[in-house]
Amino acid sequence: MTQKALPIINFDRCDRCGACVTGCPEQALTMTKAGPVFIQPVNCTYCTACEGFCPTGAIRAPIKVRWALEN
Amino acid sequence: MLIAPCLKDDRLNISDLTQIPLISALPLECRQQLSRFLIQRRIPAYQSLVLEGDPAEACFFIQSGTFRVLRTNQDGKVQVLSRLSTGAPINIISLLIPERVNRASVEALTPASVLALNSKDFDSLLASCPEFSTALLRHFAMRISHMTDLAADLSLLSVRTRLARFLIDLADSPNSICDWTQDEIAAQIGTVRDVVGRTLRDFETQGLISRDHQQFVLLDRSGLVREASLNPK
Ligand code: SF4
Ligand code: SF4
Repeated sequence: MTQKALPIINFDRCDRCGACVTGCPEQALTMTKAGPVFIQPVNCTYCTACEGFCPTGAIRAPIKVRWALEN
Repeated sequence: MLIAPCLKDDRLNISDLTQIPLISALPLECRQQLSRFLIQRRIPAYQSLVLEGDPAEACFFIQSGTFRVLRTNQDGKVQVLSRLSTGAPINIISLLIPERVNRASVEALTPASVLALNSKDFDSLLASCPEFSTALLRHFAMRISHMTDLAADLSLLSVRTRLARFLIDLADSPNSICDWTQDEIAAQIGTVRDVVGRTLRDFETQGLISRDHQQFVLLDRSGLVREASLNPK
């Protein structure tokens, strides 16, 4: 089974403000001493909201763009 | 925050300079001088190369990889300004302004390799190699001209048109080595992240694209091309 992509968290940039944890509509993240980690990765819908909440640019949720096969 | 460690320091060969347009057009003598100054650095993904507000100690030329340029806005939020890839120079403006501080942070998005030129050597090149100064002037003239075109696009084309063009270009270029975030797309087409998100949802509702987790699939080429060629705002 291929794993679903998750947003990437750069702990060097993270100031542990918790905005991504409280803002995630799916409660996919929890805060640890090291920073936010995915506690429920299967819940993540890749809505990319956490990237928008993050004040330090520590979260990146890159998207992939491709043509449908018939194009 | 960590500054990228130097994974490898190497003095260069002149042939290593061919993929940097700003340098490759310089006369041989000037390139020889530059190659004595330049030091190759390997940067791991997600490491910062330049930190906003620090003294400007060097500029860089990208040999490979993708970087993003970040700046802190008045509310203290970090904003994506642009992305840079192979051939682009980094941090030259910071060396040219009188304060000599880094005007923005620059972070690698992929494993990358850059050629570093420290500020002292930069100054000595400016003084001794007029062709280098001319190449810089040309580079900035092209940047200004690009920004003028972008400003014209902003006033003439709607976000829908600019985003449709961006999506088509991205899907048509199989060589894109690094995926884009909505912030980065917003910086590229001159809008803000929320508007990119809203417009993507509009395209989805209209059946032009569909979303599957991380993937955006472009479904209707002629519909998107129509969006991309509409001019009125
Ligand atoms: S992408 Fe959405 S669902 Fe996934 S962690 Fe971020 S906010 Fe939560
Ligand atoms: S919002 Fe950003 S800075 Fe704040 S805890 Fe999450 S990753 Fe860290």
